[in-house]
Amino acid sequence: MKKFKELPFVKKVGMNRIVLMFVLVLMYIVFGILTKGKFFGIKRIISSLNYAYFLGFLSLGVTFVIATGGIDFSIGPVMFCCALISGYCHLSYGLPLGAAILLSVVIGMIFGMINGFLVSYMNVPPFIVSMAGMNIAKGVASVFTKTQSVSWPQLAAGGWYRNLVKVGNVPVGFFILIFFALICGIIMNKTRVGRYILCLGSNKEAARLSGVDVKKWQWLAYVICGIMVGIAAVFFVGAYTTVQPGYGDQYNNEAIAGAVMGGTSMAGGIASIGGTILGVFVIALLQEGILALGFTKDYQLIITGIIVIVAVYTDIVARRRKN
Amino acid sequence: MGEVILEMRGIDKSFPGVHALNNVSFDVRKGEVHALMGENGAGKSTLMKVLTGIYTKDSGSIIFEGKEVEFHNAREAQDAGVVIVHQELNMMGHLTVAQNIFVGREFKKGIKIDDKKMNEEAKKLFDMLHIDIDPTETMSNLTVGKQQMCEIAKAISHKAKVIVFDEPSSALTEAEIDELFKIIRDLKKQDIGIIYISHRMDEIKVITDRVTVMRDGCYVGTLITENCTKDDIINMMVGRVIYEEPKSHSMVPEDAPVVLKVEHLNAGRLVKDVSFELRKGEILGFAGLMGAGRTETARAIFGADPKESGEIYINGQAITIKSPLDAVKNGIGYLSEDRKRFGIVVQKTVAENSTMASLERYIKSIFIDKKAERDTATEYVDRLNIKTPSVDQLVVNLSGGNQQKVVLAKWLVRNCDILIFDEPTRGIDVGAKSEIYKLINSLAQEGKSIIMISSEMQEILRMSDRVLVMCEGRKTGEIPIEQATQESIMNLATRDVE
Amino acid sequence: MKKTKKPLSQTAIVFLIVIALYIFFYAMSPNFRKYTTLLSILDYSYYIVLMAIGVTFPLITGGVDLSIGTGLICYSLAGGYLVIHCGWPTWAGLLVTVAFGIVIGTLNGFIVAIMDLPPFLATLCTCMITRGLGSICSKNFGISWPVAGSPGSEFRNFVKLAVGKTKYPIGFLWVILIVLLMSFVLNHTKIGRYTIAIGSNKEAAKLSGINVKKYHILAYTISGLFAGLAAVAYSAVFATVQPGTGAGFELEAIGGAIMGGVSATGGYGSIIGSLFGVFVICLLKTGLPYIGLQANWQQIITGLVLVGAVLVDLLKNKKAAKV
Repeated sequence: MKKFKELPFVKKVGMNRIVLMFVLVLMYIVFGILTKGKFFGIKRIISSLNYAYFLGFLSLGVTFVIATGGIDFSIGPVMFCCALISGYCHLSYGLPLGAAILLSVVIGMIFGMINGFLVSYMNVPPFIVSMAGMNIAKGVASVFTKTQSVSWPQLAAGGWYRNLVKVGNVPVGFFILIFFALICGIIMNKTRVGRYILCLGSNKEAARLSGVDVKKWQWLAYVICGIMVGIAAVFFVGAYTTVQPGYGDQYNNEAIAGAVMGGTSMAGGIASIGGTILGVFVIALLQEGILALGFTKDYQLIITGIIVIVAVYTDIVARRRKN
Repeated sequence: MGEVILEMRGIDKSFPGVHALNNVSFDVRKGEVHALMGENGAGKSTLMKVLTGIYTKDSGSIIFEGKEVEFHNAREAQDAGVVIVHQELNMMGHLTVAQNIFVGREFKKGIKIDDKKMNEEAKKLFDMLHIDIDPTETMSNLTVGKQQMCEIAKAISHKAKVIVFDEPSSALTEAEIDELFKIIRDLKKQDIGIIYISHRMDEIKVITDRVTVMRDGCYVGTLITENCTKDDIINMMVGRVIYEEPKSHSMVPEDAPVVLKVEHLNAGRLVKDVSFELRKGEILGFAGLMGAGRTETARAIFGADPKESGEIYINGQAITIKSPLDAVKNGIGYLSEDRKRFGIVVQKTVAENSTMASLERYIKSIFIDKKAERDTATEYVDRLNIKTPSVDQLVVNLSGGNQQKVVLAKWLVRNCDILIFDEPTRGIDVGAKSEIYKLINSLAQEGKSIIMISSEMQEILRMSDRVLVMCEGRKTGEIPIEQATQESIMNLATRDVE
Repeated sequence: MKKTKKPLSQTAIVFLIVIALYIFFYAMSPNFRKYTTLLSILDYSYYIVLMAIGVTFPLITGGVDLSIGTGLICYSLAGGYLVIHCGWPTWAGLLVTVAFGIVIGTLNGFIVAIMDLPPFLATLCTCMITRGLGSICSKNFGISWPVAGSPGSEFRNFVKLAVGKTKYPIGFLWVILIVLLMSFVLNHTKIGRYTIAIGSNKEAAKLSGINVKKYHILAYTISGLFAGLAAVAYSAVFATVQPGTGAGFELEAIGGAIMGGVSATGGYGSIIGSLFGVFVICLLKTGLPYIGLQANWQQIITGLVLVGAVLVDLLKNKKAAKV
């Protein structure tokens, strides 16, 4: 085992990600066997991909925040808020679809800007900001839509945005997600933004004493997260069209689960975009599998909760051993 | 003076690479104040930590009240009657004074905590010590001095027979010190043995009966305070052994321009009206004892902590430094004594750490030019002789000396003209030390101006072109290297409080 | 006296806000003046007050408990299911409800104090887990505890006693009693004292020989216990308990507690303050519709107030640190 870890290929990809890939394949096979083969086939794959898209964007976004050593668990409700308000504007005020999509991203960004401002410039604990943000997002969406659900137009009714998710059986969304993951990976690993985010997440004081404007870069992590949440909203309605006000909490946990499973450390400073994407696929497949086995969504909540606890605990133990 | 209550015999303690205590003996009698002195790193704190069970000794014995004892933690020592009043206070700010004193052993009335009785008992303690503190006051509302009094009251409430004061006066005002001494005299009358660790020579003369001096982990000697002079003690503290020849004269040309000028800098308790000049190519040694305010001065100049007042000029131009960002822009680099916390990002590679302060120079369009970054890092790894398998190594895996060099590389990459080294060789082994010295010297020769804070007298004498001495937040003197001796520096560093 | 100045003033201010809000709504709307409105405000307040009392303990340790909202629903569903579908007597069902709360609370304590996970993350996970468990326990159906007047419904009388045609909110008396009791526990027993000690300076508490882990866990157990009691109050007030709800209750409780003077960074808290804080939120929730605003505004206002309260607390601490 030790030797396997030393292989150049393994080192390059990362042990964690190899295990995740393995888990992904294994899960697929196990679900297939348990459902007597019914799980295999294009339908289930498309369905779990649908779930993976918006969750992937959420998870990518929150990866940046976790990398700073912070947290944002308002992302689920904020995503709904984006989808609800922009959808409502499209339906009730005749805002063109393209503009509505842009609006969604802008709303997400505004939430990210405010959350980030409170955390990095005002030193409010991130969990307080998340909690407040979550409820403000729900409240704003409910007030704006007068507590009505919003259904974005179907493809036949001119809802071209649905082509972003899939055209026929071609999973366009998959390619878009991977494209964005690549961009995020580049930001995280190849640009100053990512470098500083990781540095300040690992040792904020050292970064500050190196002349890094830590507040600015920390703020930027939340802004990136907000933008991704706005995009996630588009892919949520792209897959499911209908959004209800007052919901969205469960996706917080699933997005965080994706990130921490992928090897992003809750303590900050270490993040893996590739890992996050794999983690998201595991969660998406899991939820599809649970439904296929005839269980309710509730089991997914429980399993995700346990996954996060175990993943974070593993990270804590590993760090403790290093020190 | 009474009989011996506590005796430590032939204590030995080693840490990996360091022989921290070498056959040290020490004793305290009932009703005696016994001072423990020595330069920073002489082994005083280690000895006290061995006494209270925080460290286990390698050999030797501790005899307390005639019996050999071994405490396993501070609590056991406390229960037996050996209590430390720490320099940094262990208080719970949100609880009241009485609640703090009796925390962990509250009086109870059924399930109710008997706060009334605790307040009464605390009041009795304070009365006995002639201290005026309201036991029902919230701890965080007290001054540091008053908090310290509470620590003392807590110690006494443990029925302490031996109390260790670890630099108790460093945070106190004059009036508070007087009060403290009154208390200590009272404690003496009650036959309590007191170990008093301090750097303040005048205090030692006033309050203690005997002085034991330690140096480099060894016992040097014990004097009766009455019969000795300040110079006697200083001579014992600094010793006569000098491993390296001190610098004989300044290397700075007469006409070297002033690069950095600091005027009337004030920042908090430990930086009071500090003014000095630093010239091109000069190594200015900052000498002083722990808590003299040297690090605080450096941090204030660097913008790491807020300043209250004062001007900073670089090359004759007045500049404002509000954050480290401003300092770095003006070509100042700071190498902290605590590298792990303030210097490096341990989870990042050597290359990433080296370019952290000048990353914008390695941006090509929007990407980090990793090749250029690695080339630069490689260049500095070679130049500074950083021992690392590659520039992609995580810094956490390097030794202390090499980590220090990575921090240095960070500032050299930035091309800083003014470098502040804060204890550059702390925790670094001897070989790496001389390498760092060579580096600092060659940097000065290249025209970099260097402030070197050091608590090691030999380091100061060997490296500096000029020595600035601080004591309790003030600059107490500036000595050209030709005139600097251990004694003259120590005299300024422990200058009597006016 | 300097020492009692801060807590008193904060509690007093919040109390004045409660009075001012009541007068404001009273003046604005004739309907608000009705006795039934007062009853419904109180009905809404019980379970939130109970949660707030409980969550004050983890908050004082410097942590938080986000699982109380969904937990409440879960415990009530579990207990109710046994009564309605398994024929258990009501008292036994109620006992299970409370016991369930204690178990989940202790589990939270274990994850935080022993496994060392960040409190917000640990309880965010148990929040999702209890949400799933609640739905599973009740097989995804709403549970109606015995309606008033039917056999086994006596426990509802503890909250509202009907004498003739008038109903008396005797639940309020219980709340006062519990507030006084827990004030005593917080200020005059070891449990409270050590909770404060942990929040104030955990290291110093350890050095003083306090069994920090035990009391740290206990703080979460208390929070769980009170979520259980809140579940009882909730079941007694409302006709039906719906699975999948409960998210957001915790914000009202935590927001109330923090508004009432509990420090978001730990070390200080007041039970009576928490009580008043909750009443501010309940008044907003009940009162806003009377002045023509959607109830969802309360969500937004609560979020804003929470961040505001924390900011005030932070500024105060900053000032204190400067002196």
